[in-house]
Amino acid sequence: MERRTLLKGTLAGLGTAALAACSSPVGAGLAGTPLDPGTVDYWNLFGGGDGVRMTQMEDGYRQANPDSKLQAVTLAWGNPYYTKLTLATVGNKPPNVAVSHLTRMKTLQSAGLLAELHPEDLGRHGMSAEMFNQRAWQAGLVDNRIYAIPIDTHPFVLFYNTDICGKAGLLDEAGQLKPIAGPDALVDALTKVKQVTGQYGATHGINGDSATPWRLFQTLYAQLGGEVLADNGTRVVFDDAKAGQVLDLLHEITVEKALMPGSIDYQGAIALFASGAAGFHLNGEWEITTFQTAKMPFSMTLVPNVFGAGGQYAVQADSHTLVIPRGGTRDKAQLDRALGFIKSMLDQSMTWAEGGHVPAWLPTVQSDAYKKLTPQSNYAAAADAAVYDPPGWYSGSGSDFEILMSSAVAGVEAGQLSPAAAISQVRTKLSDLASAPSPV
Amino acid sequence: MTTIVETVSPEVAPVTTTERNTQPGHTRPALLMLAPFLILYVLFIIGPTLYMVLMSFFDGSLTESGLGKFGGFGNYAEAFGSADFWSSMWHTLWFTILTTPPLVVLALFFALLANRVARGRAFFRLAFFLPYVLPSAVVALVWIWLYTPEIGLLSKIVTTFGFAEPNWLGSPSLAMWSLAITTVWWTLGFNFVLFLAGLQDIPRDLYEASSIDGATPWQQIWRITIPLLNRTTALVIVLQVIASLKVFDQMYIMTSGGPNYSTRSMLQYVYDLGFTDLRTGYAAAASTVFFVLVLAISTVWVVLTRRQEQRF
Amino acid sequence: MTTVAPPPVTQASIDRRTKLFNRICAGVLVAFAIIWLVPILWTVDTALKPNAETTETTWLIHHPTLESFRTLLAQGDVWNWYATSFITSALTAAATVIVASMAGFALSRMRFRYRWLVFWFVLIGIMIPQQVLIVPQFREFSAWGLLNTYWAVILPQIPTAIAVFIFKQFFDGLPRDLDEAARVDGAGFFRTYWRVVMPLSRPVVSAVAIFTFVWSWNNLLWPLLVMSNPKLMTIPVGLATVQGTYGIRYADTMASAILGALPLVLLFLFFQRRIVEGIAGTGLKG
Repeated sequence: MERRTLLKGTLAGLGTAALAACSSPVGAGLAGTPLDPGTVDYWNLFGGGDGVRMTQMEDGYRQANPDSKLQAVTLAWGNPYYTKLTLATVGNKPPNVAVSHLTRMKTLQSAGLLAELHPEDLGRHGMSAEMFNQRAWQAGLVDNRIYAIPIDTHPFVLFYNTDICGKAGLLDEAGQLKPIAGPDALVDALTKVKQVTGQYGATHGINGDSATPWRLFQTLYAQLGGEVLADNGTRVVFDDAKAGQVLDLLHEITVEKALMPGSIDYQGAIALFASGAAGFHLNGEWEITTFQTAKMPFSMTLVPNVFGAGGQYAVQADSHTLVIPRGGTRDKAQLDRALGFIKSMLDQSMTWAEGGHVPAWLPTVQSDAYKKLTPQSNYAAAADAAVYDPPGWYSGSGSDFEILMSSAVAGVEAGQLSPAAAISQVRTKLSDLASAPSPV
Repeated sequence: MTTIVETVSPEVAPVTTTERNTQPGHTRPALLMLAPFLILYVLFIIGPTLYMVLMSFFDGSLTESGLGKFGGFGNYAEAFGSADFWSSMWHTLWFTILTTPPLVVLALFFALLANRVARGRAFFRLAFFLPYVLPSAVVALVWIWLYTPEIGLLSKIVTTFGFAEPNWLGSPSLAMWSLAITTVWWTLGFNFVLFLAGLQDIPRDLYEASSIDGATPWQQIWRITIPLLNRTTALVIVLQVIASLKVFDQMYIMTSGGPNYSTRSMLQYVYDLGFTDLRTGYAAAASTVFFVLVLAISTVWVVLTRRQEQRF
Repeated sequence: MTTVAPPPVTQASIDRRTKLFNRICAGVLVAFAIIWLVPILWTVDTALKPNAETTETTWLIHHPTLESFRTLLAQGDVWNWYATSFITSALTAAATVIVASMAGFALSRMRFRYRWLVFWFVLIGIMIPQQVLIVPQFREFSAWGLLNTYWAVILPQIPTAIAVFIFKQFFDGLPRDLDEAARVDGAGFFRTYWRVVMPLSRPVVSAVAIFTFVWSWNNLLWPLLVMSNPKLMTIPVGLATVQGTYGIRYADTMASAILGALPLVLLFLFFQRRIVEGIAGTGLKG
């Protein structure tokens, strides 16, 4: 009997506690009523240094808007994030504002999961097209309609150890890396650095890294003018000759000349560069925080123009954008709160830039403070040469497309695949995806 | 293995011939009492099963209502021709192969030992069975922490003994083993309890008689206990295979199917294709194939649990 | 028994031999039991450390603290997750017991037409792997607009065919004289079920209720799909989905694991015997 009374008491107590503590979610759970209409629900996928800076910016918003409640949720990066965002929107309980990569936002839009943003609403909050980096802004438009507000461009960049590169004679008088142009110059620079370090010239994540090999490949391949997909991902236009040229070079510097380790994971590649075992490191600019924390002598610049001989420069990049999911704002007050939050994020672009990202918000890019921010401003030009992943429902950051491309490129670098075998593997897998019926 | 109720075997006591007769006045009230179950059952189990098969012939999308464009057997052809489909199928089988023998043998071993120990039953039950009641998410968080490179307890123990630190969850060849270890720790208690119950049904006098004949405890185990436990063992194996095939939680949380898809199970494949790639029609086709496989093994289970002597 | 010349066996030597063997058994088992407890103890140990101390990998706690628990409980979502988990699991358990026991009663006690048909129809249900039905079930709940409500979690978990057979089997074992007497007194079937049979069925009711509660609480895949808003997630889904703040926070993570497990651990400690007997007793014997 005692046990039963206890159980009854517990259940009753929990019931009242649950009702009292959070009547709103319980109401939503039982009757499907809207959740806290007065708050800004914001979802993002930022971890590491980005996460720390995003939290600062959220606090900035809270201080500037003490009346508005902000609830920020961080979900696991990549596919899990986009799956959740899709499920929540299909399930009628999306956040008011969400982060999306520009390359993933297209698929969300064509699946009908995003709300269109109207210029007059944006204007009310001091945002208009000409205030953004045009490359990012244009890339985010769908049929000239606005669905996403870009907050940055995050290009693939070159980190270099200033001590090592100095000893290798690769720096100019100002202590900056001298431009490296052409494949021979690249091999030459890596060889010189290798002579200084005694181990490697450069590193980048390869084993189990589903993005970095693709980013490097895409940078070099785009410099040759190569394209992978056309017609929204339904046609494969992969150029075997150009891809072969890129893969041969990667094969040469890893397998043949061991200028770069061909079998190393993301963290290992960072560790080798941080410990001085390599003088160059290829990665997204966000790792700036890691090397600043390591207190090592380093700087950052554009990935060399290896193949774009005619001065045509290209570098793989993506942008973080802020979107409003379909049904994310149900009335004008909610829409204004959401747009106010977006504007607040843009106003704090300087904080975001400290984490390495090139702001899309021109008032920040053109400010003196940003121009003085080094090494970040060294590669600001990358935003104008950004090459985004090709459109397609299976493409974009963290997608199946990047994973399959990365694993083929990584196979070449690790010496498991010949360039020709990698090309045919890519062709087979891409044609499977391209011929599958598009779900959007 | 997230189900408890489901894995409890049914003692399907079939209707005997004499009971088969219909009695007047029973039908209406009987159907009324069955109605709540049957309605929910048709709405949420039978209906979706049929709808799944129907969906598998169309190119449906998660974000569009309706079935989508008719595609005939296209989805099945794509699944059977897809390397990803077969590798997920293989990972599921590989996980089953890695987990079933230790989960059966170790559980039996522990139960045999526990059966010989007079005191401390409650302690053993606590130690082995407690993990089983924990949610998979909790188990995953705990083991991610144990497997953490450099500072995780397991990594530390291994390096203390002078071995190189294994990349538990990060290496494609090792990740499935790490997930299997976690699963053995988590779900062994269930089989342990089943074996203990089976052991208690073996009459004590059999042991006493054999020990008067001079049988060593070892001989008793091999000649009396194990043969008499046959039925329990068969059931435990089948239940374990079914549970292992349906694995999802551990992979989803601990490796998300990685590294490089090396631990993606069949259910996660369905999840990825249906809810990440939005291709519900194709996911339904993959589900249907998997459904048939699990159903076939479940049939073995039901046949096993049916009492031989009582036929319908 | 196969030895050619068996040594003289005395009762004393048998006892000694058995005793020694049993002692070895106990030793081995205790060793394994301790191994099995290590992850749980390590979890508790970590949760009681300050976050910064967790990188040391030692059982020693220099500054024991409940800070991690305080941090977690101060964040609102954990309470919301508890609410969802408690409400959905309790309602699922209650509904399953009622619905399945009525069906089990009909199958056990009543001689109606098409009985064999219903019997086999329900029997198919125990072979159907529900997890494989996520795609069509999701479409169903999406079409009905019930996603992100408790009903999406509760409803598909209620029709558990195995529970029907557990009840049927238990009722089959109850003496029929009692309910036949009630029937003679003019009680209808429902009254007999509710007033006579159910009160005699406490053990099976509590076993099914506890199992369904635990199963529902621990279910991950389905709630992961239908409860996509962080304020409405169940505890396991919340733990598996939402990332915390940043930096080294192993203590916080382990504290959240403990919070997620605590209700079930308490349930287990209270009903240990019943749970274990439930597993062993519901049909596997024989």
